[in-house]
Amino acid sequence: MKAPPVSISCQDLTLRFPVYGVDAKSLKKSLAKITVGGRLGRSHGATEVTAISGLNMELRAGDRLGLVGHNGSGKTTLLRALSGAYEPDEGSIEVQGRIAPLLDLNLGIDPSASGYENIRLRGRIAGLSAKEVETRMDEIAAFTGLGPFLAMPVKTYSAGMQARLAFAAATSVEADVLLMDEWIAVGDAEFQQLAHRRLLKLVERAGILVLASHDLDLLRLYCNKVMRMEGGVASPVTDIRKLDELMAA
Amino acid sequence: MEAATHMLRTGRRGPLFEYQMAFRDLRASIGRADLAWSLAWHDVSSRYRGSILGPFWITLSMGLMVVGIGVVYANLFGIALKDFLPLVALGIVFFGSISGTVTEGCETFVQAAGMLSQTSLPMFTFVWRTVFRNVINLAHHLVIVVGVLIYYGYWRHSNVPVAALGLVFLVLNASWISMLVAIASARFRDIPQVVISVMQFAMFVTPVFWPANRLGAHHFVLDFNPFYHLLEAVRAPLMGGTVAPHTYLFLASMALVGWLLTFSLFANTRRRIVHYL
Repeated sequence: MKAPPVSISCQDLTLRFPVYGVDAKSLKKSLAKITVGGRLGRSHGATEVTAISGLNMELRAGDRLGLVGHNGSGKTTLLRALSGAYEPDEGSIEVQGRIAPLLDLNLGIDPSASGYENIRLRGRIAGLSAKEVETRMDEIAAFTGLGPFLAMPVKTYSAGMQARLAFAAATSVEADVLLMDEWIAVGDAEFQQLAHRRLLKLVERAGILVLASHDLDLLRLYCNKVMRMEGGVASPVTDIRKLDELMAA
Repeated sequence: MEAATHMLRTGRRGPLFEYQMAFRDLRASIGRADLAWSLAWHDVSSRYRGSILGPFWITLSMGLMVVGIGVVYANLFGIALKDFLPLVALGIVFFGSISGTVTEGCETFVQAAGMLSQTSLPMFTFVWRTVFRNVINLAHHLVIVVGVLIYYGYWRHSNVPVAALGLVFLVLNASWISMLVAIASARFRDIPQVVISVMQFAMFVTPVFWPANRLGAHHFVLDFNPFYHLLEAVRAPLMGGTVAPHTYLFLASMALVGWLLTFSLFANTRRRIVHYL
């Protein structure tokens, strides 16, 4: 049986964030509301922020989509929704293929555990089995270039060493859909080269890349399509060659 | 790997759909039970990293508590140590397991905030992580239980299969309570304090370190104490006693009603939990 081709499809995707203030998290406030006969039910006094409204997009294998937009325009929210963490309030997201969210490299890193343990942990979270992690261990360990330090707790690492470890562990999983919040550049000059090449390889192998960035030159370099987000409203998916027109609009 | 290669997320489509999605989350978590297990092991081993005894510190500290309370209370109550110490040892170990599962439940989703907000891992995975972690701890404590039962000769009358059945009920019930407080704690940050107080209160009103028969004519009040039933179902058979049929009835209905309640709450809040954090 052949797996269906890699694709992402968002239809009328709307995402709203209820903002639970620090106060709203207190039980007292909620109880007080009940006792004074305040309105219970859906509103519940929580303010809602619409992070994405009515977004439509279709991506096929080979699409490298750049997301542009100001801070708070909904880029990261969209990435998180595509990763499956956020549920749409309306509409739908359908993703065919294995998703690798590279949103936060430090996800699941435990500072008191050793480098090896962290690689294992990160691999498991990314969906590898214990056995798969072990077979890749040598390759990942070699890539970090940390050698004997891998047996030491991560908290003894310098920031750059931590970044190397996190990057190597996070990028060890092949995926069909790669989600990135800013192009990842970590470590010293030498490692950045390595990381860059590895990332490119990953992007090549992945069917679809969605990359959010403020760096237009970078987007021109890696993407073939672009979408601009403005206050949660997305432009249509456009060819990257029309980036200037899109930004001027 | 079917589930990992296709993802569909949609807006609300009526209550039935929400239950279906909640059930899908549960099923996915069972498919990846080994992940929850690894995370739980990681929690236990990282807590005792660098210590010589490792996780057996849990055993040692609990052993000390058992001996301390056992000796002092045996004298206070004027009961022979032989009768009293095993009661206390089993009581503390198994109640500690219930209490641990429930109170650590408060942290289940709060601690997993990072992973929940950027991966599609099932939410149930983190519930199992808490439950499995406490099962692992309990396994370490069993050393005390076995030691005491052998030392005082109870092992000859111990009915292990019946106790194991009781343990199943214990875990089944402790886990729904754990999940219930996990959801509630994510939404309301006062809940952990409430849970800790309630569990402390429960420890004193449940015959953990006092014999149930001391209540005399007031013994019936224990029938309304769920923790008493949970404890008795495991402790009594190990000490050569029998479990009243109504205890099983109580525990089975508690598990059923509790899980239905918790699952409904989960089905209705599942979308929101990640935003609570």
